[in-house]
Amino acid sequence: MADDSAGATSGQAGLAAENAALQQVLAAEHVAVWGYGVVGAALSAAGDRAAVAAEAAHRDLRDRLAELLDSRTLDPVPAKAGYALPFPVLSARDAAALAVRLEDGVAEAWVRLLDQAAGKTTRTLAVGALGAGESRAVAWRAAAGQTPVTSAFPGLPKA
Amino acid sequence: MSPSSTSGPSLSRRSLLASSAAGLALLAAGCTSSSGGRRDAVVTGRQADALAGQVTVQEALVSAYAAAGAASPALGTEITGLASQAQQQLDRLKGAAPGAPSSRSSAAPVVATGPDPRAWLRAQVAAAADSHAAACLEQSGARAALLGSIAAGLRGQDGELS
Repeated sequence: MADDSAGATSGQAGLAAENAALQQVLAAEHVAVWGYGVVGAALSAAGDRAAVAAEAAHRDLRDRLAELLDSRTLDPVPAKAGYALPFPVLSARDAAALAVRLEDGVAEAWVRLLDQAAGKTTRTLAVGALGAGESRAVAWRAAAGQTPVTSAFPGLPKA
Repeated sequence: MSPSSTSGPSLSRRSLLASSAAGLALLAAGCTSSSGGRRDAVVTGRQADALAGQVTVQEALVSAYAAAGAASPALGTEITGLASQAQQQLDRLKGAAPGAPSSRSSAAPVVATGPDPRAWLRAQVAAAADSHAAACLEQSGARAALLGSIAAGLRGQDGELS
């Protein structure tokens, strides 16, 4: 995986940084999978379909990350038994706002992975997941009544 | 499932990724020597050239927004915010590639947007996103993060234009 084709730091140090970032992404994906369960429960049937699709996407990413770490003989970080909600989810609008928070959280993790990745294959995974997540986030921001619905720099810290 | 019924870590951005903010703080400020210079100090000539190429791609996208707005004033009003974000992305890219030549002239280019400026603009946005995503794979460190983030932002713009 650490093909280092971009001339990045090679060897164990680079791979260790990548692995740490992969664990952070996995932890964020655990949160997203859990959180979308809350999102879906608060939405109508149409909205719930979007939540179910998003949850499936995050489950897939979670599983791919766990398999990748496992292939490196690393123990994938496990999911917590539960997570504290950042605010009460009492309406469809709240649910959409939570979905935005979830997507923004994983976006930060994926960008961090891009920063730390030692290999092109890892960057391919990250940039794909980041783009798909932002596409979902745009729809959720609209549903939550947030403006703007798009972000110039998903996942990057605010300047 | 009420907030009080759960335990464990908070769902806040801070708790999710406390370390990433520090690692990418310099990038957010327009500086690309993040992470103590451990990796970005080693930038190959090919990487530098590739990043300069993405400045050109983004310049073309900014011009495309202007052309689409000129072709359809109603669309121009609608896309003001998106165009502004595209310009912000260009500014950040230029900050990361200070030696990149600018291909923009002071005069707005004449671009044929075709009979459907929105569809044409979407195609330009998608193409720019594809280009930045592909370039991201050949970069490392903060430059890869920046290009990946911009590519994702343009995916979102593509969806918003649909």
